[in-house]
Amino acid sequence: MKKHNLLFTSILIMSLSSAVNATGRMTCDSGDQDSWKTMDQLQSVIESEGWKVRKIKVDGGCYEVYGSTPEGKRVEAYFDPLTLEKLLVAQRGKILFKK
Amino acid sequence: MNIIMKSFFNSIYFSWFVLALPSIGMLVAVINGTNIEKFIHPTGEFAARFMIIAMMLTPLLMLFPRSKVIRWLLSRRRALGVAAFCYASVHTLFYLLDMGSLQLVLDEFWLLGIWTGWFAFAIFIPLALTSNQTMVRKLKTNWKPLQRLVYPAAVLTLIHWIFVHNNIGPALVHFVPLIGLESYRIYRNINKKSVQSTQTT
Repeated sequence: MKKHNLLFTSILIMSLSSAVNATGRMTCDSGDQDSWKTMDQLQSVIESEGWKVRKIKVDGGCYEVYGSTPEGKRVEAYFDPLTLEKLLVAQRGKILFKK
Repeated sequence: MNIIMKSFFNSIYFSWFVLALPSIGMLVAVINGTNIEKFIHPTGEFAARFMIIAMMLTPLLMLFPRSKVIRWLLSRRRALGVAAFCYASVHTLFYLLDMGSLQLVLDEFWLLGIWTGWFAFAIFIPLALTSNQTMVRKLKTNWKPLQRLVYPAAVLTLIHWIFVHNNIGPALVHFVPLIGLESYRIYRNINKKSVQSTQTT
């Protein structure tokens, strides 16, 4: 049992330390919301590229989109609210794209 | 306390009711047409919570051997474990319904945040199926080693929680108390063993 505990503890520590490195929360230096493009604008732009949008919210000064990529992958994606530029796309935590 | 009240709160049905409470609001909302996706996270969170509470009880009792509350909770540990499994089942079901396609589910299966969840759930199945007196009697001395599979399941759950959204905070808030108590338990067990060995020599 002691050996097992040691093994689990080491797996735990390893995964935790790699998780700290992998955490890809995005922040945008986007200033006042008055100058932002609207969520509707973002939605129509990315939908025309083939995205499916389920929800858009503001997170860390960015627009965070929950939806599917044109390839059909279920993702969370961050966009710059000033330019609507794509910043980060993550599928279940796996980073597919980062600017 | 009135004796009727006491037997009411002590009945296993009351425990079941309390454990089911978080699901009632969610099920009502789903029936009323709220998007299932909204409840994938909370169902998983309650599965993890009940598992963590069930696992914390033994080391807590080592810390507070006189506590009646912990002893009472220990008598409800099976209900906690089975409730954890039920929430995990709904969590998995909601995930599958939300994905809506086997191909999509298989496509993301081997992502670190996903397969860890599947494997944890796979471990939960035999644990839940053997959580009854008949199986305790049938499995005899194998029952306990089997139930100890909850430890790898907990590690997988933690990894699943962290990596599925790359967010370490909420998972750690839940798991740190358990990790602390388990460390204390290991420390105590090692000390006890060394005391015993010095006594025998």
